[in-house]
Amino acid sequence: MAADVDDGYLVQRAREGYLDAYGDLVDRHGALAYRVALRLLGNHHDAEDIAQEALVTAWQQLPGFKATSSFSTWLYQIVTRKALNRITRTRATQSLDLLGELSDTGDDPGQHVERDLTVDAVTNAVTALPPPQRIAIVLHHFEGLSNAEIARITASTIPAVRSHLFRGRRTLSQTLEQWR
Amino acid sequence: MTDPGQPTSDGRQLLSGTIGHLACGADTDELLEQAADGHAGQLTDHQRHCLHCQAALHEFTRIWEPVRNLAAEHVAVPAALKTAVASQIRKLITDVWYTLQLSDSGAIRIAARVVATIARDAARTVPGVRVAFGRSTDIKTAGPAEEATLRHRHPHAAAGVLGRTAAVDLAIAVQYGDQLETVAREVQQRAITELRTRTGLQDVTVNVTIDDVIT
Repeated sequence: MAADVDDGYLVQRAREGYLDAYGDLVDRHGALAYRVALRLLGNHHDAEDIAQEALVTAWQQLPGFKATSSFSTWLYQIVTRKALNRITRTRATQSLDLLGELSDTGDDPGQHVERDLTVDAVTNAVTALPPPQRIAIVLHHFEGLSNAEIARITASTIPAVRSHLFRGRRTLSQTLEQWR
Repeated sequence: MTDPGQPTSDGRQLLSGTIGHLACGADTDELLEQAADGHAGQLTDHQRHCLHCQAALHEFTRIWEPVRNLAAEHVAVPAALKTAVASQIRKLITDVWYTLQLSDSGAIRIAARVVATIARDAARTVPGVRVAFGRSTDIKTAGPAEEATLRHRHPHAAAGVLGRTAAVDLAIAVQYGDQLETVAREVQQRAITELRTRTGLQDVTVNVTIDDVIT
């Protein structure tokens, strides 16, 4: 039903105390929060934690949300900031739990194992990147955001984002090439 | 040793950092960007005639393929995420309760958010209503009311407002072309009837605000 209205309408209603309007925003953008956290942190447990924290923080900070950017851009900011804090606090460890939670592709077991190993290799290569490169790579190559959008989210500049992307792509490619 | 005149398709050499540029002068980072962004097939005039660039683009596309595959993969969101967020938010807000029974046998209470949900769901069944949200009108007054009843509170009543009067606000968006007042009155009546039937609350006030019209 809420598909009829845009995020701005839901944000306004949520600010006025209509909690179910915020529930609709979580329905729309919960996947974004979880997906970005998963790609930045590399494991489901931390991703769920960070996505949850980010969505609760967004609700708490809703009265101060200026709406100069979209709700999703703002949520990207909150998720990346929280993930960054988690990375610097814990120095994210490599995780293998992606292996256990992949959907069944119907491939034969040999192909499945190879595919799992590839997923794990890419995940580990991404989470081994320095945080600024990791954020740029995830937001651009996994979320499809432009350099300008990433600069806004990370409070950076377009040339800086471009530089992080160049270095991140090169490192990631070198790692994957060595892994093969 | 690779002949500098021959195009190389050795990924490690291309990415080694010692090259930086192909023999034709093309920047390897920009070629990698082009391949990673999925534009390897969109060749520039130079690339259409340059075997060095074509070989590098082909190689970078191959190297980047696992990243593209992972990025395209659907990520299943944990089913419990929304519930967990809602539960944490509920802990942060002051809940209002309508007490239906208060005796030595115990208390029967209904959370105001449940009452608001019932009213909202009733509103959503009215033809012409495209969007409806509900909230308890009492939420803003819950703090002071709770404070005032603190000394007189029944031992079984952990917190909340005593009383059998419910006041609910409904914000609705209506289909363009419908008679707004008719829709609003229908929403009000349906919500009141539903609340009386399902909760036992008899003195029910439902405020309806039409805040958008949708084409």
